[in-house]
Amino acid sequence: METATHQSDESILIQGLRSGSEADFQKAVRLYTPGMMAVARYYLDSASAEETVQDCWVTVIDAIQKFEGRSGLKTWLHRIVANRAKNHLRKNKREVSADFSESLDPELANRFAPNGRWATPPSLRFEEDAESLMENGALSDCLDQHLARLPETQRSALMLYEAHQHKSDDVCNILDVSASNLRVLLHRARQKIFLMVETFQETGEC
Amino acid sequence: MLMCRDLARIASDYIDNELGTAQKLSVKMHLMMCRDCRSFIGNLRASTDLIQAHSSYKPDPELVRRIDEQVAQALNAKKN
Repeated sequence: METATHQSDESILIQGLRSGSEADFQKAVRLYTPGMMAVARYYLDSASAEETVQDCWVTVIDAIQKFEGRSGLKTWLHRIVANRAKNHLRKNKREVSADFSESLDPELANRFAPNGRWATPPSLRFEEDAESLMENGALSDCLDQHLARLPETQRSALMLYEAHQHKSDDVCNILDVSASNLRVLLHRARQKIFLMVETFQETGEC
Repeated sequence: MLMCRDLARIASDYIDNELGTAQKLSVKMHLMMCRDCRSFIGNLRASTDLIQAHSSYKPDPELVRRIDEQVAQALNAKKN
């Protein structure tokens, strides 16, 4: 996905934000809002998450002057959102609920025989690379639908780790989860996507 | 001995190189003998690549419009 990946691009953007350039804010809003929403949605419902991300951007106008660049801009923004979202949760005396107890997806678990071997082995054979597969609009739409159906906790973990390419430590920090619980969230989400692609390849239907 | 179901539980840890040496070795031994699990690991890896290649992580246009508006207002208020 598109991000300000080059150090120099990011430095130029940060300069622009510091100088209060509206055009640079618009650019940054488009680049970083999806990731910020993924963080906020881990903790909050959709409406509160949007409100939190909106407020964060206004905060950034002043806060960017104090940004020291110890982390990248993306990580810094994600931490601001996480802190605000956690405060919001605390004020409303609520907690994030997620199931970390079983790493195997129930649908996949049913595909094993009692002796622990595959009863219904994977039928999927990838012959194209991921980029070519994504050119299939129907598969891309189907992936969108299934990503949207994942529990928020799994989707946020997956988005931050895979799409926004955060390191595990950063995701754990931002989402306030232990390393082992993050592993469960990621694995559960990946299995769902695997099952979806398998069905799509077999039946042509989402 | 590691069974297919056990391997399926830790498949992401294997893909992300998060397993300890002993566990990694037992996964590799199992994969040498089990075609179905090789296929599963390959598929899970491909699914992960798909998620990374998926380009439609676009922000909601309505949300972006609201943020632009609020930021512009706040920037103007600061200038004045």
